[in-house]
Amino acid sequence: MSWKLVLALALVARPAPLIGQNGNGVGATRLAGRVPAAALPAIDSILAAAAAESLPTEPLVQKALEGGAKNIPADRLVNGVRRGLLQLRQARAIVSHAVPGQSPPEGHVAAVAAALARGLTGPIVERLITVAPNEPPGPVLHAAADLVAHHFDPDSAADLLVEAHNKGLRGVRLLDVAVAADHELQRPGGRTPSEALAHVRAMLPNVRPGRP
Amino acid sequence: MSPIDPRLQEALDGERDPGDLPVDLREAYARLNAATQILKATPPVSVASRVMAEIRQNPAPVQGEGPGRRLIQWLGRPRAVTVRLRPVWTLALAAGLAAVLVLQWRRGGPAPGVAQGIANFVGQFPGAQSVEVVGSFNDWSRGMLHLNDDDGDGIWHAKAVLPAGQHEYMFVVDGERWVPDPLAGRYVDDGFGAGQQNSVLIVRPVSAQP
Repeated sequence: MSWKLVLALALVARPAPLIGQNGNGVGATRLAGRVPAAALPAIDSILAAAAAESLPTEPLVQKALEGGAKNIPADRLVNGVRRGLLQLRQARAIVSHAVPGQSPPEGHVAAVAAALARGLTGPIVERLITVAPNEPPGPVLHAAADLVAHHFDPDSAADLLVEAHNKGLRGVRLLDVAVAADHELQRPGGRTPSEALAHVRAMLPNVRPGRP
Repeated sequence: MSPIDPRLQEALDGERDPGDLPVDLREAYARLNAATQILKATPPVSVASRVMAEIRQNPAPVQGEGPGRRLIQWLGRPRAVTVRLRPVWTLALAAGLAAVLVLQWRRGGPAPGVAQGIANFVGQFPGAQSVEVVGSFNDWSRGMLHLNDDDGDGIWHAKAVLPAGQHEYMFVVDGERWVPDPLAGRYVDDGFGAGQQNSVLIVRPVSAQP
């Protein structure tokens, strides 16, 4: 497949914007033919509920499309989308608590919901958002989730990321902190997780730029 | 070409009296002589003479004159250019250009593109007939992004330009087997209750890639 074709596919395949934010009709336009017909009414009502609560609907549409592509039975598919709605609600509560007095940006809520799905706890997420409330939280939350997935202590991982932020690292550079910690952990000689974190903390902000 | 009889040649050259020729050669002489008279009566403006006249009118460039000098001479030589425009099309063209300029001014210059990055997908699937990537970046649609294994070593790969940010995806092998990317390093439960995990890809914007 040629480069130009891949590029064209990638651009064409970008998720189309939702027609409306009220939920009504969203299922009909993007999900018709992609999910079991029996699941459509329930999904549409979940989307309508999300829109009514000013929650982002795109993650829910994606979950429904995913379930349809995987041929998930209607009842399990609806449960999966409903679970997504619950995570979005929880995420919005965390964001609202972390950044009081502001209307939580959709991007923040979706990123926090994704972090919760990856296993981060509410308090850790809230702490990381509070450090930089006006920055997109996706990278720092993924960095934390990466560290937790590699069996680092969640609070120690958050400490390291907060320090990295204080030393000027932003956005995807915070992912490099998690990569560096993982490299230190796997280095021959057998560092413990806390030793690996201490080593990375000592080298901040000079962690090696990495690839995704 | 058959050789001409020398006696006929001599008669044509005026070196022999045509009356001395045998009867058959005398007839040939008469035919050739008539043809000569016809040619003599034809005006001298032949193709060759026209070509030669043209060459004399536009002599070839002097030897040693370089192509650069000839180009400069060609560019410097005045030429008449006639452009015929209907007023209605001229006005439409001007209006179009003005609209483009106004739009650019209102936007404050060309709008920046969506932040994108390059994603590399690699998977080892020996014996597979097809491998594709399906994920949130293509609305979980099948048939959009296929991996290739051109050398048949069982290692399938594809590159794609994707929007920067987080994407969930899976490989679909042989059109029916959904498998997470073993090299993804990040996974998340897909939430449908069967314990299946999606791979998580974080695409860095090109400006942030090392």
